[in-house]
Amino acid sequence: MPVPQQMGKGDRMGRGPYEKSGLLEDTSLPPLRTITQSYDIFFPVKVEEKDGKKVSTIASDSMDVEVKLWYLPYGTMDDDPFLWKEFKKTVKISTSGK
Amino acid sequence: MKKIFYPLAALMLLVTGCAFCWAAPPGVGRDQTLAAQPKANSIAELAARYDSSSCIECHQQAHDEWAKSIHARSIFGTGRTALTFKTAIVNGAMEWPSSEVKTPKDIKVEHLMGCAKCHLPQLADATDKVAQEIVTTIWDWDAALKKEDFDKAEKFEKTLTSLNINCLICHNRNAITHKWSEGYPKKDTVYGSKSGEHMDGKFTKMAKGQIVSESILCGQCHGLGPNFDQENPTQCATAYGSYLMAYVPEGGNKTCQQCHMKESKLGHDMQSYRSKVMAEKAVDMHVVTNSVYWRDNATIRPKTSVRVELTNHAGHGIPDG
Repeated sequence: MPVPQQMGKGDRMGRGPYEKSGLLEDTSLPPLRTITQSYDIFFPVKVEEKDGKKVSTIASDSMDVEVKLWYLPYGTMDDDPFLWKEFKKTVKISTSGK
Repeated sequence: MKKIFYPLAALMLLVTGCAFCWAAPPGVGRDQTLAAQPKANSIAELAARYDSSSCIECHQQAHDEWAKSIHARSIFGTGRTALTFKTAIVNGAMEWPSSEVKTPKDIKVEHLMGCAKCHLPQLADATDKVAQEIVTTIWDWDAALKKEDFDKAEKFEKTLTSLNINCLICHNRNAITHKWSEGYPKKDTVYGSKSGEHMDGKFTKMAKGQIVSESILCGQCHGLGPNFDQENPTQCATAYGSYLMAYVPEGGNKTCQQCHMKESKLGHDMQSYRSKVMAEKAVDMHVVTNSVYWRDNATIRPKTSVRVELTNHAGHGIPDG
């Protein structure tokens, strides 16, 4: 979002419209452009000891991935959040191989 | 005689001086606008000055669409806007040492224009008494809500919503931005897509509004950034600034009205992200996943890479603010 500068000076954000003048930064989605973000999500693993060695095995070969685009008009999930877009998919990983 | 002459001379000077003080601001036709009438002295008077109820008979659909939009309750909003007026007074004007506002009773039109420039531009055509009445009504509404006196709260809400951004603001008062080159909006004329006679007792003429289909009409309120014309600049909206400086440079060539009124098929029910059609039109989200085994020196850990692409098709940054 465009992060308004309090009274047009310094490093503090202004939230009330009466104090917003200037921008500290702008993380809004710019018009007619595509923004890409990548996330690495590791599958949960179980670590057990076998013959004195730590062995990790995957807890499950599938994982439910949810991506939600929220708009938070007041900057917090506690106050009138708006779910703009949602994506759900179950992804799988192979269980054979070395 | 001398004793009489000097006071007379002084009186003459005073009268001449006042004539200069009261000289009308420049602009041929400025005195023929709705804004130039004697200043409204109450909420009821201001609401009557910009009363567009006579439009409904012939423009029922446009009215019904508009009534669903936030323009129809521009100083009240969902209640949040009214409370923000209050916050702007308590946390803003009352805290600023040079504002001359010690209590809400000190509020004048000029103090409210930080909000009202967009939420109620016609407040500039009213006396400080109207600013006071608005402030009192907001305070009373809030107090009634806190006491859970909902009937009273509704009454105050009705008063506050009697002032809004209606037909006459966009199709008359604010319909001409370049008044020295195109003339001032006339008090008997509505500005739209046609010219000629208009079937209305008060607004008897139609004229082609040069900017009624242009983004600049909306840009008057939907913001460039700080309003430097004010004693204490504020910026509520920056959408028009983003339109000019980001959307157009990226090759965008649609107007606000094309997206918000025509393509959305919402007409005068101008909406933003809370409307399903606008939300869907504005942003695309494309997600690609790829699951792989990550291997460091000793361990392998499966992971999935999630790549999220967000494309903003709107004519401004999202969100605005």
